[in-house]
Amino acid sequence: MSDEMQEILNDFLTESNEMLEVLDQRFVTLESDPNNTDLLNEIFRAMHSMKGSAGFLGFNHLVDVAHRGENILNKLRQAEMAVSPSIISVILETIDVIKAIMADIRDSGTDNHVATAAIASKLDAILNGTAPVASPAAAHVEATSVAPKAEASAAAQKTPATPPPTLGEILVNEGLASKDQVLDALNAQQHQPDPKTPLGEILLQAKAITERALDQALHKQEKQPKPVEEDATIRVETKRLDSVMNLVGELVLGRNRLIKIGTQLEQHHESDPQVRVLSETLAQLNLVTTDLQLAVMKTRMLPIKKVFAKLPRMVRDLSQKLNKQVHLEMRGEETELDKSVADEIGDPLVHLVRNAIDHGIETPAERQAKGKQAEGQLTIAASQEGNSIVIRINDDGRGIQVEKIKAKALAKGLISEAELSTMEHREILNLIFLPGFSTAEQVTDVSGRGVGMDVVRTNIRKINGSVELESEVGKGSQIIIKLPLTIAIIQALMVEVERSIFAIPLSTVIEAVRISRSDIKTINGREVLHLRDRVLPLIRLAQEFDIPTDTERERFYVVVAALGDRRVGVVVDELRSQEEVVIKSIWDYLETVKGVSGATITGEGKVVLILDTSELVQNAQAWHNSGVAV
Amino acid sequence: MSATGQQVQSHYQAPAEHSAERLEEKAGDDLLQFVICLIGSEEFAVDVLSVQEINRIVEVTRVPKTPPYVEGVINLRGRIIPVLDLRKLFGLSGAQQTTQTRIVVVSVQARLVGLIVDSVEEVLRVPRSAIEPPPSVGTMAGAEFTQGVGRIDDRLLILVDLSRLLLAREAA
Repeated sequence: MSDEMQEILNDFLTESNEMLEVLDQRFVTLESDPNNTDLLNEIFRAMHSMKGSAGFLGFNHLVDVAHRGENILNKLRQAEMAVSPSIISVILETIDVIKAIMADIRDSGTDNHVATAAIASKLDAILNGTAPVASPAAAHVEATSVAPKAEASAAAQKTPATPPPTLGEILVNEGLASKDQVLDALNAQQHQPDPKTPLGEILLQAKAITERALDQALHKQEKQPKPVEEDATIRVETKRLDSVMNLVGELVLGRNRLIKIGTQLEQHHESDPQVRVLSETLAQLNLVTTDLQLAVMKTRMLPIKKVFAKLPRMVRDLSQKLNKQVHLEMRGEETELDKSVADEIGDPLVHLVRNAIDHGIETPAERQAKGKQAEGQLTIAASQEGNSIVIRINDDGRGIQVEKIKAKALAKGLISEAELSTMEHREILNLIFLPGFSTAEQVTDVSGRGVGMDVVRTNIRKINGSVELESEVGKGSQIIIKLPLTIAIIQALMVEVERSIFAIPLSTVIEAVRISRSDIKTINGREVLHLRDRVLPLIRLAQEFDIPTDTERERFYVVVAALGDRRVGVVVDELRSQEEVVIKSIWDYLETVKGVSGATITGEGKVVLILDTSELVQNAQAWHNSGVAV
Repeated sequence: MSATGQQVQSHYQAPAEHSAERLEEKAGDDLLQFVICLIGSEEFAVDVLSVQEINRIVEVTRVPKTPPYVEGVINLRGRIIPVLDLRKLFGLSGAQQTTQTRIVVVSVQARLVGLIVDSVEEVLRVPRSAIEPPPSVGTMAGAEFTQGVGRIDDRLLILVDLSRLLLAREAA
């Protein structure tokens, strides 16, 4: 296949995949709003244009399936047939077959490997009216998305639901001209030969409005969100963006270094005018670099809608399968996050939603018996909080019984009775994220196929995020996922241990306290610190990393790091500074070193290791627990 | 690296297990180029095509919980690469770093690794015919990382098998 052909094919695949994603969502919406002709038209057009492209590229199987689907859509559109769940199910199945064909095309370049006869006959049956159209709509899902108000305007800008008002409309609405005047002027304009005089001018000439009123109206029109033009965006390979991001990372490091040198120069040659000019230039460079960094980060940002897109369909299929009624609500779909984060969060999210429906939400009968609505509520809300993206998954299902978790954790030997007795409610709930916990005894088709909650947590941690569970028996559960905006650049606290410098991700740092040696107590041979009524297990970084210590110090700093509810104190010699660091990987040669998540290059060009706080916290817990057990 | 360089390399570089035999088979009169480094009193030869650059020693950041011969990581113009101390790897007693100490940055299987050597002497052309397989009884330093021995007049060059350096990591 020639490069050119391959390129056309790639474009086709990308476009079609996007279209299919949208279609899934549209169908689910259609089911709850079957008379929405606009929606039907949109779906029809999407299917039609995909068929067109496929025909051009010679994928006849695809054309065949799409054509049959299109026939049904056409009938629905022209109201010759009514939308019913069974029809939607078959069409969704058609979409699945089309997806499979797309995958086949991507892998083999042909569309011959997917069986299409079965779906084709199903579609024909519906078309000929031989299939039972009326369906026992046992389950029913509807997806609504409620964007918070602040984001509504952004949403409107991207997908204008209504065309922006015309000048005439504004004039009438504002009471600057009467409806008749505007209609007259429009009439006059219509009868003019091209080029036509603008409406405003006609009205001015007719003395219907004043010049000031016209200015006012024009100004108002300009402020209206304009429809997004087709070529306002370009497709860029992610690889290219990645390399730009890397280069910006380098630039940030270079800038940090320059600023350090500049500050030193300033201290030594305060009166030198050249040094002063240098400082000003540096300040400017600093600003521009920060802006550039932000701008590049923005190019990589995607609305979380992309990740959420597959959920309505999944929820629909799942609740039908499990005979449950689920109302899915998605909020904050416009919240943006880095592509690399978006790529990683999809699977954990799917898993958590599955869990919520499978284990959380009860059957309609069960719910009614408890006095709840038959339909379960599942809410997925994304929002930006400071430098993090927070996703909350709420269900109003049965909740999780702490006693059950206790029993299971004990039975699996993940924790000792003694430890359990000291744990708080929330800590016990979060035991479900331990490796080996959620390998379900009974493997259902839906969740619990061995992919446990620990995998979810591992994946989320991989991108420097955290996940926590809250639950109330009978009322439901909430899962809170916190994600960084970007994974390439983080704020870090630089600490010093025996002249070695380490970076601790600031997102995990709660506080830093200065202590003296006598403040450190030991419990069962393990060092701890009493900090405001809390016993804080301590980790000495020097010991953890086998750094030889010269002398026993009198004063230390303890950096309190947290992972969910668990806290640990990292004992260091000095606190250095807070810096913005670019995370670089170092482990393509060295094996993964426990307790280190990566490295960065400081302003001076030195390599500094970044501590893996979650690993340290876990180690410390295990360590201290073993101490207790002895 | 030039196109001709690539060609020579593809001729010459073979999988680690067979490289010694391959060297022997191919012993013709064409010349190979080596960077000659001194570690202790022994001369080690590194294929010039694998060498990306030779730098003065810079500050190395230690990485905890790694084998002793892993000196740490350095910043190579924005890339972070591991640095191995060949002295420790070859089991020679440690020496102080001097002004002659160098980091030879080599590319092994498309990955960059820095090697600390006592000094770098020269780049030497060695005819293939002068290269012999390593002595079967390995008493010399770094025997397990040797892919051959070059004899030039009365000099004995130990040809370092870079791919085995990576294996050492896996064994460790």
